[in-house]
Amino acid sequence: MTQPAAEVRGATKTYGGVHALVGVDFSVEPSEVRALLGKNGAGKSTLIRLLSGAESPDSGRVWIGGVEMERSTVQEAHRLGVRTVYQELTLIPGMTVAENLFMARWPGRGRIDHRRMERDAREALDRIGLRIDPRSLVGQLSIADRQLVEIARAVHDDPRLLILDEPTSSLAAAEVDRVVQAVATIQKAGVAVIFVSHRVPEIRRVASSATVMRDGRKVGDLELAATSTVEMVDLMLGETSQETERVAKPLTPGPVLAEVRGLDVEPKLHEVDLDIRAGEVLGIAGVLGSGRTELLQVIAGLRAADAGTVHIEGTRIDGRGLHRALSLGVGLTPEDRKNDGIVPEMGMDENLVLSDLGSVSTSGVLSKAKVSTAAREAMETMSIKTSSPHLAVGSLSGGNQQKVVIGRWIHAGSRLLLLDEPTRGVDVRAKAQIYALVRRLATQGKAVVFVSSEMEELNLVCDRVVVLNHGRITAEHHAPDIETDQLLLAAIAEN
Amino acid sequence: MTTLKTERTPSTAAARARMSTQQLNESGLAVALVALVVLLAFTTDSFFTASNLWNILGDAALVGIVAWAGTLVIVAGEIDISVGPAVAFWGVILAKLMGPWGGLPLAVAIVITLIGGLLVGAFAGWLRGQFGVPSFIVTLGLWSALRGLAQFMTDALPVPIQDSSFLDRLGGKIGPVPTAAILLFVLFFVFAFVARSTSFGRSVYAVGGNARAAGLSGIRVLRVRVVLFATSGLMAALLGIVYAGRLSSGNSGAAQGLEFSVIAAVVVGGTALSGGRGSMLGTLLGVLFITVIGNGLIIWGVNSFFQDVVRGALIVLAVLINTLLGRRSGAGVD
Repeated sequence: MTQPAAEVRGATKTYGGVHALVGVDFSVEPSEVRALLGKNGAGKSTLIRLLSGAESPDSGRVWIGGVEMERSTVQEAHRLGVRTVYQELTLIPGMTVAENLFMARWPGRGRIDHRRMERDAREALDRIGLRIDPRSLVGQLSIADRQLVEIARAVHDDPRLLILDEPTSSLAAAEVDRVVQAVATIQKAGVAVIFVSHRVPEIRRVASSATVMRDGRKVGDLELAATSTVEMVDLMLGETSQETERVAKPLTPGPVLAEVRGLDVEPKLHEVDLDIRAGEVLGIAGVLGSGRTELLQVIAGLRAADAGTVHIEGTRIDGRGLHRALSLGVGLTPEDRKNDGIVPEMGMDENLVLSDLGSVSTSGVLSKAKVSTAAREAMETMSIKTSSPHLAVGSLSGGNQQKVVIGRWIHAGSRLLLLDEPTRGVDVRAKAQIYALVRRLATQGKAVVFVSSEMEELNLVCDRVVVLNHGRITAEHHAPDIETDQLLLAAIAEN
Repeated sequence: MTTLKTERTPSTAAARARMSTQQLNESGLAVALVALVVLLAFTTDSFFTASNLWNILGDAALVGIVAWAGTLVIVAGEIDISVGPAVAFWGVILAKLMGPWGGLPLAVAIVITLIGGLLVGAFAGWLRGQFGVPSFIVTLGLWSALRGLAQFMTDALPVPIQDSSFLDRLGGKIGPVPTAAILLFVLFFVFAFVARSTSFGRSVYAVGGNARAAGLSGIRVLRVRVVLFATSGLMAALLGIVYAGRLSSGNSGAAQGLEFSVIAAVVVGGTALSGGRGSMLGTLLGVLFITVIGNGLIIWGVNSFFQDVVRGALIVLAVLINTLLGRRSGAGVD
């Protein structure tokens, strides 16, 4: 009997009070491609980190190729034959493909043997059927090619287990084919592959089996050919019990504030039509790579579309720049709060008024009193916990930081709020407060667009939800009939 | 991929401690300055005399007048290394305007010079802001070009300025007090006010703290950068006029190495080169500290070359201490 390429038994991992993994058993055979499914927070990334040595389990054991991983380090896992390719590519754009393939392991002593390196590089690329010149600079390659080079690097020295984390989420349809083919070639060579993804069509093409996780537990090992997508969704979601109540009665929306027509942003969005109304919380549901962020960027004027238009009360704003959109009342809270949202060294008070310094100053001179008042008001109405409004906002919790970023646009009087994943990395209590805040804003007549990949929260806060799948709107639901499993199904199913 | 760890909240004590790293650094520097003064007062006869102390302030002004704007530039995450040549250049321009280029009256020449400094600075800011050319490169280009232009225009000879009592006064004293020192402190209060209490000042800190977040919040980052470098250029022109007063001439060799002294004073004062943090008070202490050390080394009779060694070691030491202070107060923001 052959050893499994990788095996995990009874793995448990807890972070703070969060049970990331609870008694998980998992194994994958050589030449098997196993999809790993589960919604955000289900435990997929923790399981992967255990296998790649980046984390050690609190209890339980890990074997790679029959050898137990005694010390959980990345080097040890590497030695045992585990390779991981993450979403964030780690190639150096200024160096050639060959140099990247053998990063830190360039052939030759002291002096790099370029001829040997190129020969070895060609071999490594052939191994996955990738036809590019190893002397080309990575910076000039397409995203798909880079992804494939990253994969070639991972498999060139015959690993046992290859873990691919969302390998196709940034790729267009035609490019996905190439990754699928590369995986097929790798599988034939005897490597076990774990393929983490939300994209069911690709999963079905590339994998034969799937493991579904939920709330830190494994809830199913499936034969993909025999399992419908509906069944997968049911396993991923389980019994949805909700502490917060879903929106029972949708608000009567006001007039249309923004019109999106025929929007195309290659390769992410296709023929998107949307109406954004005042006094309504519109949810946009979609998994990673569905095009949500691009959609918000166009509506905020940050990005031009390849086709189609966005108007706010008749004024065209797509591609016209952020300030045009801001002047028309748009406010955008970015997905990456830390890098795009807060100025970490400044206090919550200054972060709060940053979008409308004019309202707290006269002739360019700030009024400490006005800033203070604005800060105190925000702290009260949004329950922002901080020992002082001057305390550097970088030291606040994620939830409080998010409230400050949202509060910035409330302070600036925005009437069309675009919230990109506003509850990511936010604790449970702050989430509930943010939902309540968003409902209040809509009741006050503002238009709110709530983008999320966490399907369960959408019916807690939205009056209406549209689903983005591979860049197209594939479903629309209205409260009180917004069902999480239908949202997830529409988001991941094949069209 | 979402992280399952909810973001850690450092304890309030650590958070408060981090906020006062700046205050800690300033207090430490103030103590070091006092200690230095005391040391010099006791080990020499000539340090602690009225005339020497006024001289120190006068010398400090020759760096400090441009260091306030320099602080804002570094807070914004930028750098301006063209200060020295700019000072020399604008001094030469003033002398030329009052002399061979039309014999213009002093007031007119001063206005033209100041506007010139403003415009050249704005141009540098525009290159940085609009095209993303790193400010180090833009100001490096100016560093070379302005000095070269000044030397070219003067054949490296001083351009004398005909008697002007105003200029003499500007470059000299009012009573026992060097005029430049008065200017130094007036500007200190102006810039401290701007940094702390104006939209522009806070925008500079926002851009330096996180330019992307600032931009997405609606701050006009390009505008901020242009105005910032324009201000730096204006201050260089102003100092150039002061120098012209002191030397009674425009001198293409003036202010050699000034940019180094400015940056040294700013970082010793606790402003981080990475931007987002810093204070005028810190820079004031930094300027005084460096000036006092320079003065002290001369009085002690230390070899002038060795003075440079001391300055170099000092800057690294000061920034090292500041870095360690910042780290001790818990999980850094970097």
